[in-house]
Amino acid sequence: MSGDPHHGADATAGRRRRMLGLFANWFSRRPRAQRELDDELAFHLEQSIRLHQAAGMSPGEARRQALLDFGGVEQAREETWRQRPSWLVESILQDIRYAARGFLRNLAFTVTVLLTLALGIGATSAVFSVVDRILFRNLPYSHDDRLVSVGLVQSLETQEFMLGGFFYEWRDNQRPFSSLTFERGTNDCNLTDVNPIHLQCGFVAQNFLPTLGITPMLGRNFLPEEDLPHGPAVAMISDGLWLSRFNRDPGILNRAISLDDHSVRIVGVLPRDFEMPRLQPVDIVLPAQMDVAAQHTVNSGIGYPMWAFARLKPGVSIAAARLQMQPLYLHTQQWIPAEIRNDFHLQVRSMRDRQMQDAYRAAWLLLGGVLAVLVIACANVASLFSARGAAREREQAVRAALGASRGRLIRQTMTEAWMLAIAGAVVGCVLAEILLQVFIAFGPAGLPFLAKARLDLRVIAFTVAISILCAIFFGILASLEKPRSLALAARLVSSRTRARLRRALVAVQIAISAVLLSSAGLLLKSLSNLENQSLGMEPRDVITVHVALNPEHYPKTYMGFYLRAETALRQLPGISGVAMSSSLPPDGWHNGMRYAEIFVVGKPPSPQSAGDPITSRVVTPDYFRVLHIPIVRGAGFIEADRNSPNHFLILSQLLASRLFPGEDPIGRHIQFGTFNPYFVADPTIFTVAGVAGNVKNAGLAAQNEPEFYTLGISRDPEAWSGHHFFLLETSLPASVVAPWIRAQIAQIDATAPVEIRSLSQDVNELGDRPRFATALLGFFAFCGLLMAVIGLYGVIAYVASQRTQEIGVRMALGATRLNILPLIAAEGVRMVTLGGVLGLGVALALSRVMQSLLFQVSPRDPEIYVAVAVLLALVALAATLIPARSAMRVDPVEALRRE
Amino acid sequence: MPPSVDLLQGTLDLLILKTLALEPMHGWGVALRIQQISKEVLQIGQGSLYPALHRLEYRGWIKSEWASSDNNRRAKFYSLTPKGRKQLAAELDQWERMATAIALVLGQDKAAIA
Repeated sequence: MSGDPHHGADATAGRRRRMLGLFANWFSRRPRAQRELDDELAFHLEQSIRLHQAAGMSPGEARRQALLDFGGVEQAREETWRQRPSWLVESILQDIRYAARGFLRNLAFTVTVLLTLALGIGATSAVFSVVDRILFRNLPYSHDDRLVSVGLVQSLETQEFMLGGFFYEWRDNQRPFSSLTFERGTNDCNLTDVNPIHLQCGFVAQNFLPTLGITPMLGRNFLPEEDLPHGPAVAMISDGLWLSRFNRDPGILNRAISLDDHSVRIVGVLPRDFEMPRLQPVDIVLPAQMDVAAQHTVNSGIGYPMWAFARLKPGVSIAAARLQMQPLYLHTQQWIPAEIRNDFHLQVRSMRDRQMQDAYRAAWLLLGGVLAVLVIACANVASLFSARGAAREREQAVRAALGASRGRLIRQTMTEAWMLAIAGAVVGCVLAEILLQVFIAFGPAGLPFLAKARLDLRVIAFTVAISILCAIFFGILASLEKPRSLALAARLVSSRTRARLRRALVAVQIAISAVLLSSAGLLLKSLSNLENQSLGMEPRDVITVHVALNPEHYPKTYMGFYLRAETALRQLPGISGVAMSSSLPPDGWHNGMRYAEIFVVGKPPSPQSAGDPITSRVVTPDYFRVLHIPIVRGAGFIEADRNSPNHFLILSQLLASRLFPGEDPIGRHIQFGTFNPYFVADPTIFTVAGVAGNVKNAGLAAQNEPEFYTLGISRDPEAWSGHHFFLLETSLPASVVAPWIRAQIAQIDATAPVEIRSLSQDVNELGDRPRFATALLGFFAFCGLLMAVIGLYGVIAYVASQRTQEIGVRMALGATRLNILPLIAAEGVRMVTLGGVLGLGVALALSRVMQSLLFQVSPRDPEIYVAVAVLLALVALAATLIPARSAMRVDPVEALRRE
Repeated sequence: MPPSVDLLQGTLDLLILKTLALEPMHGWGVALRIQQISKEVLQIGQGSLYPALHRLEYRGWIKSEWASSDNNRRAKFYSLTPKGRKQLAAELDQWERMATAIALVLGQDKAAIA
């Protein structure tokens, strides 16, 4: 107990040090100081012994007494050693070295923990980056939470809009808003200076920027007098245009530019992060210069369409604003035709809701899914730590017996947790960046801001916060378990709390996996329904061509171009059909009207469902042949009808059954209404020439609208719009025929840009968003299940190893291998059953949230839940049987000999 | 051996500084000296003596050097630094004020009991 053994140890260490001369400096400092302390304490003891001997004790007695007087030599040494100022840093370094050695010794553990953490952190960060802008990040307006979008909705336009005839009355009489403003949308325009470029011009009210809380980066906002009809031509330009066109020239203000051959003076530059509230791209912003008085006469007396935004007064909630606007809305409703008045509603909602639409729910779902994965990952790491703790119980007990304090042992565990968390965060960040690039590359076009998603500082901070939480979580869990001195003596003492904790963790993992799996399953079934539903047409082998015609080149009619192009395209090789249509199913923009506008000759107008929307398309007779839409009754259109003096139309089955229930519609006459200022029948009479099969026309997921088709007729050239599509039937790939098509079009109009797409590709893209959400959630569910299985396997393997001896005894006493299996498997079956039942229960309870994301699948679809249960059972069986099998192979002699 | 008295928190530092103010001394000497002067009332446990000595040394109030002891055995001798001397004066001052204050309070108490 004197310092002597330490001298010996130090002498050996000293020789070794001299051989490793390079490291001598750093390593030797600590031992020399320690040796001096040993000497000092030894001297003290010697003096004490001498004193006792002088008092007449025998040498042995004196030594014993001196040690008694001294108290614990080791404690004194440790306590004195701690006084060093560098003790904390040294001991932390010591902990880190110790931990690193441990990690290297147990590579499988280290790699599993690192991968689990990296996956949890990486996936969370990547998904957070994607949904951050949708759910959390501020819009680029000051106090964006006080901004609302105000307007009318109707079944033909579910995104709120405004009408000039309403706006000024609302603006002058409203109370809930501190200001109300509008924008009139964006138009194509051309900068016709030296190098003409094509731009987007937006038209806004004078108080547009102040209401949104935006100040120009350079220059000023419009003046009130600049927003009057025939006011001075002024503009603000975007930062992008300022950079690309003017190289950020600070002298840009007051410069005149030529916009569509009109001189416009630049008065300001918009901030770099400027966005229009509806997110449409814009390069130049001009004052709307509205003629207020004219708004009650133009556009059938309801004024020009616009989009209104407002800032709430302090203390006014969105619901209160909606309530306060209701009387004003009812007052102005008189301008809406009586037949369709009921279809209109007031809408006031937050700017964020307006921008994000239905991306909200999908974003929350993904975030929830990835957070579930993170929880599983954390539970997995905690359970791995706990398993390792069990394996190290003896080691810990030895350290405790050698004088390591409880605090020191906890710190050691925490150090290990932190090291892994930080390493996991680093690997996780790399993984997050990779995943994010994958999301951007494969993500759907419709997901807002996906292309702009970046791992920024906030996301990194989020990641680090998660990893620290993880560290604290599993650090505390692992260090809660007291190292017991018993463990030193007893060879196989397993901590019961530890085992219970790990079982609970595995059950939780299985439960969360079950929730993830069933959500992913529901989405998968919904996606498969969406993709395999009948569209009512065949988009395969159809190529669509859209030509953007410049109105200035076609002052009278576009018909000439379309007829010439149709003839030219028919002559191309490999094209078996050419049709034209004013719009394309199954989604996309199309013309529409309401029941109130259809008058069946010889029938009174039905007041019921007068406001319901109807789709209308102008087509050529080949449209039905190219898209393989069946004509179920009547003859349909024939080529000669295009030049006939009579007007024909084809009804969809849905429309036919609603207009002519139980009757034969063929040959019946229909007139369309014009508004004047109520609906009266237009004298043109259309004859029903056929009934076509229903075609998906309101997107993949929505209910079909009733639809009718009219013919583009040669007798009425002015009726042709400049926005027709060509539909070409061909078995050749689009890439082959595209140059031929371009060459043909160029011969007719060399300047018009031509867009060529395949219709099946367009249809396919409609499924991109659900596919993306399904793929991601499926990936999460897979990761979650994998980790849960690792956790399960770990626990079973541990249980099996704990009971090796017992199994040996049982087998020695005559138990067969089959008798052994239930011993081990029962544990796994219990955890999986508990977790699975819990998880499926939670999934069923949460399923209502998914309702709006599902297509023709009940959120409680029994098939999915049964499938999840079976999958869990199978996987759990595998995870249980492998360790159980090795337990069954225990050699009884071997197991007993270990006693 | 008379029963030892628990030292007030912080007084050990003061005692060590005061003892070392007389002459440089090794740890054993400090313990012995305090014990003798206090007539065996103050027994310094080694478990607190050496941590205290090292703490004071790291604070720069005392310094140490290895030298031969009276019986020719190498020992670590501690001595007061100028900084330690100032600290001793300050602590003595504080101790006196504290002792006076406590004495005042206790004196009043006696009167109250009487």
